Amino acid sequence: MPLLEVEGLTVRFGGLTAVSKLDFAVERGALVALIGPNGAGKTTAFNVITGVYAPSDGSLRFDGREIGGERPHRICAAGVARTFQNIRLFRSLSVLENVRAALVGDRRSGLGDVLRGPAWRRRERDRDERARDLLAKLGLERFAEARADSLPYGEQRRLEIARALASGPRLLLLDEPAAGMNPSEKDALCGLVGRLRDEFDLSIVLIDHDVAFVMDLCERVTVLDHGEKIAEGPPEAVRRDPKVIEAYLGTDDEEEP
Amino acid sequence: MRGRALLLAGLVLLVAADALLPRVLNPYYLTILSRIGVAVLAAVSLQLVNGFTGQFSIGHAGFMAVGAYVSAAASVYLGADGLAALSGSLPASLARALYFPLPLVAGGAAAALAGLLVGIPALRLRGDYLAIATLGFGEIIRIAILNVDLVGGARGFSLAAPLHPEVDLRYESLGAIYAVVALSVAVIARLVYSTGGLAFRAVREDETAAESVGIATTRVKVEAFVVSSFFAGVAGALFAHSEGYVHTNSFSFLRSFEIVVFVVLGGLGSLSGAILAAAVLTAAPEVLRGLGEWRMILYSLLLIAAMLVRPQGILGPRELVPGFLRGRPGGPRAPA
Repeated sequence: MPLLEVEGLTVRFGGLTAVSKLDFAVERGALVALIGPNGAGKTTAFNVITGVYAPSDGSLRFDGREIGGERPHRICAAGVARTFQNIRLFRSLSVLENVRAALVGDRRSGLGDVLRGPAWRRRERDRDERARDLLAKLGLERFAEARADSLPYGEQRRLEIARALASGPRLLLLDEPAAGMNPSEKDALCGLVGRLRDEFDLSIVLIDHDVAFVMDLCERVTVLDHGEKIAEGPPEAVRRDPKVIEAYLGTDDEEEP
Repeated sequence: MRGRALLLAGLVLLVAADALLPRVLNPYYLTILSRIGVAVLAAVSLQLVNGFTGQFSIGHAGFMAVGAYVSAAASVYLGADGLAALSGSLPASLARALYFPLPLVAGGAAAALAGLLVGIPALRLRGDYLAIATLGFGEIIRIAILNVDLVGGARGFSLAAPLHPEVDLRYESLGAIYAVVALSVAVIARLVYSTGGLAFRAVREDETAAESVGIATTRVKVEAFVVSSFFAGVAGALFAHSEGYVHTNSFSFLRSFEIVVFVVLGGLGSLSGAILAAAVLTAAPEVLRGLGEWRMILYSLLLIAAMLVRPQGILGPRELVPGFLRGRPGGPRAPA
């Protein structure tokens, strides 16, 4: 059974259909990409999977359980974490606090925080260590005490990944992790994503525009255009698919009416 | 160890102040000091919602009114009997010290309940809308109380039990008032400056991101609102019992605005800033009293000047003594 199964997923905003009857599945341990031109519905698909929007139609099963329409924090607790296309950090908190906030999620105890017994102190120390450990794995440990919004852009993207990992996901959704990066940074990111998948035993879906980047990294690619799936398969086959070429480059008769 | 030493020093200071101040200061100054205590607690409790959770509530005086009136009514109609009985078997001062926390808890609990009832629908609103909803609530509470004859209506409500004229329900001990304020501030500080407390600040920073890492943002907001209302109710109860008389005029929307000013001027997200601003701004009108009718004009000019010079508030989001209130390091420092 795949980890994530999307069936007939449709999202409408008023008269606009952003995602139409989308089917796709993510196997355990897979590293797959969702690509497509601007406005194809990729981010909308992520938003529905993570509960930001409720699906208008269709089903979303994570680990065999229907999660469509649940609140985002419940979906996160089930094991789905994400990053955002336009980085959303807790800007005025420190880098370490960003990760610690995600470590706790909804497992909070107000009374424990007030009384601060030995068990609380032990737990607090554990959390601190785990947060620092995650920062180290993403090469951010030297920024631990800095304000999140003082980090350089690339580091902010990595911090978002660290924060997503802190919530303990089984499925990680990366929304344009390579946006704004130069080729050498993209290479480094490629290595990082693969390493994280193995180390944290993750399944990863990533969105990108950059076909070459996705081709190097992912085992399977799903291509969206105007909210519909137009191709799916191994990168090489998808790259040669005439529909994909048409979606990205347009056709002759479109330009010369 | 350092914490215990500080605690001990604080206790000694409180007992000493409690014993000495009434001998050296006249009642006018004592009243100002106890009002500063109430203002500090009101400001710190509102800081939890406005400064840490990022929700803009401006009806805080409403929750203080609930706490003040419920605790006063509880004292007059229920407590006086108990206190009279207790005073029969125990020394009077001990009986009063044992009794005093009860109306505070009652006032706090009633305000927390009001906070829950208001918070659940109101916290679905954002920004300006939440501000207007809380403002409306504050006024509704005030006008509702004004029409309840059991608590004196427009005449105000005096803490004197008609059946027990011998029982004094007032509690003016500065030591006790400041002990309650200090304990409440410590509870809020520990709640906010812990890993669990990061949820409040995460909601303030970005609700969508907070949800995405598993934080139930609606619940966090309601929690902040209920805890904040509880301590506002305690502040109201302290006020009622130290003054010995409550009137709805003390809880008008001007009072609510005053508390918002403490929080904003002190610095959103700073407990010590709120404490400082509440103390200074409660004392300022009294200090300026010599200026006669120019007093409030100067007070307003001072506020305007302060906001022009430091729009982020006196302390911004920082604390005066980071290690003390936070209990542990880990807050953000200057950019690396």
